[in-house]
Amino acid sequence: MKTVSRPFRSLLAGLVLACSPLALQPAQAKDQFVVDLTNEPSSLDPQKQWNPDSYYVYRNIFDNLLTRDDAGKIVPQIATEWSYRSDTEVVFNIRDDVKFHDGTPLTAKDVAFSVNRIINPAFASPQLGQFNKIVSAEATGDHEVTIKTDGAYPVLLAQLVKLSIVPQHVVEAKGDDAFNAAPIGSGPYKFVSWQKGVAVALERNDDYWGDKGVFPTVEFRAVPDAATRVANLQAGTTDLAVGLDTDLAAQLESSASAKTLSVLTERIGYVKLNPNLPPFDDKRVRQAVAEAIDKQTIVDGLLGGVDKPATQMAMPAHFGYVEGIKNYDYNLEDAKKLIAEAGATGKQVGFATAPAFDQRIVQAVAQMLTDAGLKVDIEMTDMATYLKRAQSAPASQAAISFGRWSCACQDVDGVLFPLLHSSSSWASGSSPEIDKLLDEARNTLDEKGRLEAYRKVSTHVAEEVPLVPLYQAAIIYGAAKSLEWQPTANESLFLNRMKWQD
Amino acid sequence: MSAFFLKRALQAFVAVLGVITLIFFLQRLAGDPVLLLVPQNATQADIEAMRTSLGFDRPLAVQYFDYLSGLIMFDFGRSYVQNVPVWTLILSRLPYTLMLAGGALLVAFGIGIPLGVAMAVRRGKPEAKAMMGFVLAGQSMPTFWSAILMIIVFAVWLGWLPPSGARSWSSLIMPSIALGLLSMATFARVARTAVLDELEKDYVRTGHAKGLPMHRIVARHLLRNAAIPVVTVAALEIANLLAGAVIVETVFAWPGLGQLTVQAINARDFMLVQGVVLLGAVTAIVLNLVADLLYSIIDPRIRLEGNA
Repeated sequence: MKTVSRPFRSLLAGLVLACSPLALQPAQAKDQFVVDLTNEPSSLDPQKQWNPDSYYVYRNIFDNLLTRDDAGKIVPQIATEWSYRSDTEVVFNIRDDVKFHDGTPLTAKDVAFSVNRIINPAFASPQLGQFNKIVSAEATGDHEVTIKTDGAYPVLLAQLVKLSIVPQHVVEAKGDDAFNAAPIGSGPYKFVSWQKGVAVALERNDDYWGDKGVFPTVEFRAVPDAATRVANLQAGTTDLAVGLDTDLAAQLESSASAKTLSVLTERIGYVKLNPNLPPFDDKRVRQAVAEAIDKQTIVDGLLGGVDKPATQMAMPAHFGYVEGIKNYDYNLEDAKKLIAEAGATGKQVGFATAPAFDQRIVQAVAQMLTDAGLKVDIEMTDMATYLKRAQSAPASQAAISFGRWSCACQDVDGVLFPLLHSSSSWASGSSPEIDKLLDEARNTLDEKGRLEAYRKVSTHVAEEVPLVPLYQAAIIYGAAKSLEWQPTANESLFLNRMKWQD
Repeated sequence: MSAFFLKRALQAFVAVLGVITLIFFLQRLAGDPVLLLVPQNATQADIEAMRTSLGFDRPLAVQYFDYLSGLIMFDFGRSYVQNVPVWTLILSRLPYTLMLAGGALLVAFGIGIPLGVAMAVRRGKPEAKAMMGFVLAGQSMPTFWSAILMIIVFAVWLGWLPPSGARSWSSLIMPSIALGLLSMATFARVARTAVLDELEKDYVRTGHAKGLPMHRIVARHLLRNAAIPVVTVAALEIANLLAGAVIVETVFAWPGLGQLTVQAINARDFMLVQGVVLLGAVTAIVLNLVADLLYSIIDPRIRLEGNA
């Protein structure tokens, strides 16, 4: 029902805005900064749930072992420096001037505890898969932690960017539930209250060791409807809103009180072809799909030009991005010819998608493939069913599936390995040669060798077309006009990196 | 009387058990929430480990009886996603849903009943037609549309009311109206029909004959007689309000049970969905029982019997 109404609501809101002399003035430099999220956080314990609405909030309460700067480079946070003892052993030096919000100093023991807590299978963290190459963490000095992995693990640092440091004494004394309900961290903002379903309130940590925030208090609210988030921005009751699409963003363009901010993320939209099912067992048909999809038109026409066509399953800031990968160019005539040659004209193929994806893109791709001669049936199911099918036995996966991938680690290992390695449940093809390259690149710290392996894999993707990378997805925020903030590719809202314009 | 209650209680028990069983197995037909919980690049082993730790690898029958035996002890289970007991989550949202339902009922009754009575009494007159137009508009306007319209006019343009959230009493005004409008239309139409039926009756003519003014006939004699169909509809309408609340709560970011349910369904948070459905079933059954009781109070000629 909501989907049907959206264009209409957008139109209405746009009309209203265009002719409204009464639009309210922006809320400026006030004490409380208000952020509209889609849902409330699932958890504030940073080692439990892993979804944007949760980490938007808890990344401000906690410090991580490492972090990324606005340019996406891995930089120190709680660890000041690190060095490899061997391929499987890394020593981190820990800051000595960090205090948790209860006044206790953050020590190497807390860091080791945080690592060991999240890798403990009994703790059942959904994030376990990001850290389970770690076998142990130990405080080997007052300000020194040694982390051991079960083999050379090149993505370790990129994963540790997501490891929040929790206070051992608090977690042990209060227990997991109480800690989740009232978390204590060492970050730039302190937890104040969590009114279930309504809002999470934070206040500035005036003793923070790093850059302090400019907002004295902050409130994160749950506002599920995107049109309502836009109305909140227009009414000036919200300073920052997540999850806008290009239609809603267009409404804010003429607004006196709000503006949009967008950034390209590391998320890549793609369609995956299943080589186990005819007609995609024929390379000519896969090549035809690559030639039939006009990425530039999708980006310009549907995504409002904010997103960027992709040539590979990575953006330039990924480790493993390869310059000069050559895709098949858009060529509808050739695509038709190839499909006819393969005898696949009029062949019926299922195209799996889920409501969370942008259906306009799915429909556009389906139409483009229809133009090339295939008969495409869009098969929409809820997310859980879609995921289950996408990870089932190769032959029972859909012929084509739409997806958007981010490993949140900016390393192609987290993208190419799960999508292509035959041991992964997502993969539908199997090529011993690709498996070998991916294994090699995963298990060595030699950056040159890794890059070379990924060059071969990405070239294989471009030539053999097990999947078609479509676009690098952008994320659009709505913000109060006077907010100064550079959103980052890793989809984080660090409050202490925002300020008011003078 | 006691035979009536015994029978109703037994019926209620069977109905609730049926609802629980149905929702328990229906949800699990389509898989489990594990894939939604883990990050995208989790391996098959990670996924299996998570499945085991949440207990989804056990046979369905075992999971089912586990849940039922928990229910007997009033243990509604834990939310897999939020790591909090289901009952705690429901309790935190229930007050908001009750406030919204109360506000909406106030709108529906407060406007709907007087409107219905006026439309009946003034049947055929221009003002009655105008009122009918208003009722029709209320009935045919989809909630998601009237809701966003109100936000734009009263919050963005005029700035009188907060656009969304649950900060103060003023936040309750728009959601109550948006939700109440639909039921208002239903009440108005039912009340109109009921009053029209009664207007034909002898006692109304007698009232006229002894010189009573119309408003006294209506207030003193007619309303009570016309109340039975309204009460029946009210019981059904409250259940409808809870369903409509899903949309209204989403648009106005009102933190009630409806919003929680949508989130729970999307995340396949089974225990939470079961808890909410159980609450809904019990509410519907209790409301119907209350309606039956009200009949006998309004019209003592209706007696509660075992075969009622």
